[in-house]
Amino acid sequence: MPHSIKKVCVIGAGTMGAGIAAQVANAGVPVLLLDIVRDPANRNAVAQGALERLGKAEPAAFMSKRAAKLVEVGNIEDDLARVAECDWVIEAIVERLDLKHALYEKLEGVRRPGTAVSSNTSTIPLEQLVAGRSEGFARDFLITHFFNPPRYMRLLEVVAGPASDAALVAKVSNFADRALGKTVVRAKDTPGFIANRVGTFWIQQAINAAIDLGLTVEEADAVVGKPMGVPKTGVFGLVDLVGIDLMPHLKASLTATLPEGDAYRAIAVDHPLITKMIADGYTGRKGKGGFYRVNREAGKRKEAIDLASGEYRPAAKPPTIPGAALKDLRALVGLSGKLGAYAWAVLGPTLSYAASLVPQASDDIVAIDVAMKLGYNWKFGPFELIDKLGTAEFAQRLKAEGKPVPAIVELAAGRPFYRVEGGKRQALGLDGEYHDVAQPDGVVLLDDVKLTAKPLLKTASAALWDVGDGVAAIEFTGKMNALDGEVMKLIGQAIPLVAEKFKGLVIYNEGSNFSAGANLGLAIFAMNIAAWGEIEKLVSGGQQALKALKYAPFPVVGAPSGMALGGGCEVLLHCDAIQAHAESYIGLVECGVGLVPGWGGNGEMLDRWRSNPALPKGPMPAVAKVFETVSTATVSKSAAEAMELGFLRPTDRVTMNRDRLLADAKARVLAMADGYHPPEPPVFHLPGANGKTALDLAVQGFRARGLATPHDETVSGALARILTGGEADVVDTVTEQDLLAAERREFIKLVRNPATQARIEHMLLTGKPLRN
Amino acid sequence: MSSAVIAGYARSPFHLAGKGALARTRPDDLAAAVVKALVQRTGLAAEAIEDLVVGCAFPEGEQGLNVARLIGLIAGLPRSVGGVTINRFCGSSMSAIHYAVGQIAAGAGEVFVAAGVESMSRVPMMGFNPLPNPALAKVSQAYIGMGDTAENLASQYGLSREAQEAFAVASQDKAAAAIAEGRLKDEIVGIETKAGVVDTDGCPRPGTTAQALAALKPAFSASGTVTAGTSSPLTDGASAVIVTSEDYARAQGLPMLARIKAMAISGCAPEIMGIGPVESSRKALARAGISVADLDVIELNEAFASQALACIADLGLDPAKINLDGGAIALGHPLGATGARIVGKAASLLQRTGGKYALATQCIGGGQGIATVLEAI
Repeated sequence: MPHSIKKVCVIGAGTMGAGIAAQVANAGVPVLLLDIVRDPANRNAVAQGALERLGKAEPAAFMSKRAAKLVEVGNIEDDLARVAECDWVIEAIVERLDLKHALYEKLEGVRRPGTAVSSNTSTIPLEQLVAGRSEGFARDFLITHFFNPPRYMRLLEVVAGPASDAALVAKVSNFADRALGKTVVRAKDTPGFIANRVGTFWIQQAINAAIDLGLTVEEADAVVGKPMGVPKTGVFGLVDLVGIDLMPHLKASLTATLPEGDAYRAIAVDHPLITKMIADGYTGRKGKGGFYRVNREAGKRKEAIDLASGEYRPAAKPPTIPGAALKDLRALVGLSGKLGAYAWAVLGPTLSYAASLVPQASDDIVAIDVAMKLGYNWKFGPFELIDKLGTAEFAQRLKAEGKPVPAIVELAAGRPFYRVEGGKRQALGLDGEYHDVAQPDGVVLLDDVKLTAKPLLKTASAALWDVGDGVAAIEFTGKMNALDGEVMKLIGQAIPLVAEKFKGLVIYNEGSNFSAGANLGLAIFAMNIAAWGEIEKLVSGGQQALKALKYAPFPVVGAPSGMALGGGCEVLLHCDAIQAHAESYIGLVECGVGLVPGWGGNGEMLDRWRSNPALPKGPMPAVAKVFETVSTATVSKSAAEAMELGFLRPTDRVTMNRDRLLADAKARVLAMADGYHPPEPPVFHLPGANGKTALDLAVQGFRARGLATPHDETVSGALARILTGGEADVVDTVTEQDLLAAERREFIKLVRNPATQARIEHMLLTGKPLRN
Repeated sequence: MSSAVIAGYARSPFHLAGKGALARTRPDDLAAAVVKALVQRTGLAAEAIEDLVVGCAFPEGEQGLNVARLIGLIAGLPRSVGGVTINRFCGSSMSAIHYAVGQIAAGAGEVFVAAGVESMSRVPMMGFNPLPNPALAKVSQAYIGMGDTAENLASQYGLSREAQEAFAVASQDKAAAAIAEGRLKDEIVGIETKAGVVDTDGCPRPGTTAQALAALKPAFSASGTVTAGTSSPLTDGASAVIVTSEDYARAQGLPMLARIKAMAISGCAPEIMGIGPVESSRKALARAGISVADLDVIELNEAFASQALACIADLGLDPAKINLDGGAIALGHPLGATGARIVGKAASLLQRTGGKYALATQCIGGGQGIATVLEAI
């Protein structure tokens, strides 16, 4: 899709500037990355160095090699005039007002009027940034505050000034949304905007309270983690991740700008332990260690710091939180003992502070919730958390403790901040009334559909929904969206219904992953009781269901986001088209657990590769490509890479904004619906035993180099037999059904192999592959 | 029998496959540029050429369809000149020379261009459609990987990793010195590419130290001794020599670099293909009526350091006479082009050093050796 912004200039090639440039390039838009001249002999060295670091960043900053080529480097002395080529200039230089002013003054002379100029500042008010600038500059100026790393953090805070041109702000916001995939939250021109203001308070309060109440870091993270909805890290783990040394910076900038009497000032104390940790280089995961560290001298032992003594000790098992308190925030803050006290000591002041920012930082509670969810990876926003506590109970407890109750909580007067009315989610407004939570134009969420509708069909592991405009959607509902016979059953039931009543079908899941693949737990259960017949039924049932999907009389569009592994990938391979979220991690990973793709993935991959014009002709190139990708269980690190690996066809499309995925997939279905014909079954010419010999020789080489294990050789041998057509000769014709039969044969043989069973068990127990 | 002489030698620069400066150059264009320049430099009357004989190890894709004929057309040779492609893997272009010599001896022509080419960037080793015979694969090592054969020789001959690395460092040092002193300039034909003219070699790594090589991981076997540093790299390149009857060269006043005195082919077990030069060299030396001690110049292709060291040990070669301007470990090994390079090189070195006899020999995948003995004129 052509964007209204055709070229972007990023000035300042630090972590943020470079990361923003990479994301612009990921959107397919050329970007000029400028920084200062530090070396007169190599004038672009600073930006060039940043580009090289981007190429090695982990997790990857670029989605593809092609994206990396869209970044052009330069320097602000020689190349600043080239901002005239750009429709948007993003300033991401150091946080010093004098330097920003000097740069803006130069920009005034070279930019085209109407070219948006934005600052990525996280601390300096817009009012100060535009001071002394021309009217035209102030009209085209705004703040666009990205979060680190810019590719992966979905939040973008946009601050417009009183003089900002609303149309230009809308143009930039629209580009950030559709091209960069960001969720735009409008914030007012107040210190720290929304997310950092609340987030910094929260972190400081959580650390203070842990020290005051004598909790260990493990105890604190167990309380903040799952129960409060920061499951992966808790608070100390999060600080380790972002860098402990960032805290004094945030504190300094906030205390410099926050109004007198702001609650943060009262809690912003320096802890000698943390000051010493930073001074000694214990800055978190990027440093020698943080609140946690892995002690390599002690055999990779996980250790945690003692908050009282400052010494590392072996990490303790997290305390057990009683079941009710894990899921119920009221039960959590009601726990007797220090865990319950800690929960309230964090939540009470933090949520109260967040609520007090209405209307100062934003008039909209939804904006604040979204900012915290996308900017700090909270599962629930502050107002959603208050709802869990109950607005009345929350206010009461504050009052009982003699603390002020924020005006918006008083306004709620015991009513929740959110409710569902007439099938619409509504939020409390400043006027004390409820208002629909509106999605941006073109956003359709399955969660919203579910507020009003019941599924058309439902089994234990999947459901079929009417998502409007004559399009139906299948979602998976099992743990990790795992696939089993119940999913296949639903597919079977859905086909006649969709054929009768709908124009087409989307396969879509709203959770963080599309599907982790077949349910291995079920597989191991069947193995343990030697129910080989059941396993064979599961394989052939899946094959039939997915082929029925492929040849259904209506278009089917797969819409993955996050992981689509193994069977999840095979579902996608049977769709007429894929509309993938840019962050799609797709792969046929069966070999990792000692199996081969068993639901038709082999034939679908062969069919994709043999029609790739870039491959040489002959029976081997497509076979070798698929073999290489599948035998090594390669998973794409982006949708762009999934296309390079052949999981996506060149005609498949990518959606940058996660929230737009379902709408885009629906549009794809509707575009194909008129005059739709199901595909013709492919026939293959495969190299047979000759080709298998070539693949076997290659695997033997890997084995000699120590890159393949004995069981790898067995598994890849089975894969090679399928892909080369088994006993077929190169002059024979191999049908899709022949390939499915070969898949079943090899799958069942492997499932009975103890080495494969050991791999599956190990994966279920540890989440990691066994290299036997 | 009418004796044959080498009346000219040239080659393209050699560059690493994949990332080198010639990766985007078609192999037929590359070889044609070398052939055209060589004919011009030598002052040979092109219409006198009987045949263009081109060695290529994977003659498919852009190297397919009798690439020799196509190279002749691209080079602008008269239509009357023939074209034949010869494949003996790494021995292909040395075989091209042998073919020309044989034709001259048989009275089937007097003037030949023997060339070789390989773009390992554009046509992969093993080709696009490797389809080995399963029955043969079961009973023999016909399809063994080249690195594995190098490991086999290293263990069979007890060649330490250190010895292999010392050999590789020496090859790099000799090549670096030759480049620094401009000794390779005359043989190299500049190649026009989209990025400009490429006229220097891209493979050598001057300043390579034993210490740096010692840090590399084994390339072919987890417990092995052969590394990327002691193997010749995948390379793009082309080479050519002019082979004429001695009578023709004298009559036309062509420069005569050396006379071809004897030639030989031999076979050995595929799993130790690197030892191939031993038997073929013995045969060729015997046919020339000379012994190893009579040799002044030796071009022994360095597919791998282990393989070269094993041949040196078995033949009792004097290391001081071997690969004076560096070998394939430093310069690169575009499979089909190497044979014509080392014969052309040996002939030029005879002239430069004033020596009398030279040997050019190489090992061949699948288990063969090929050797050529040259004599100063």
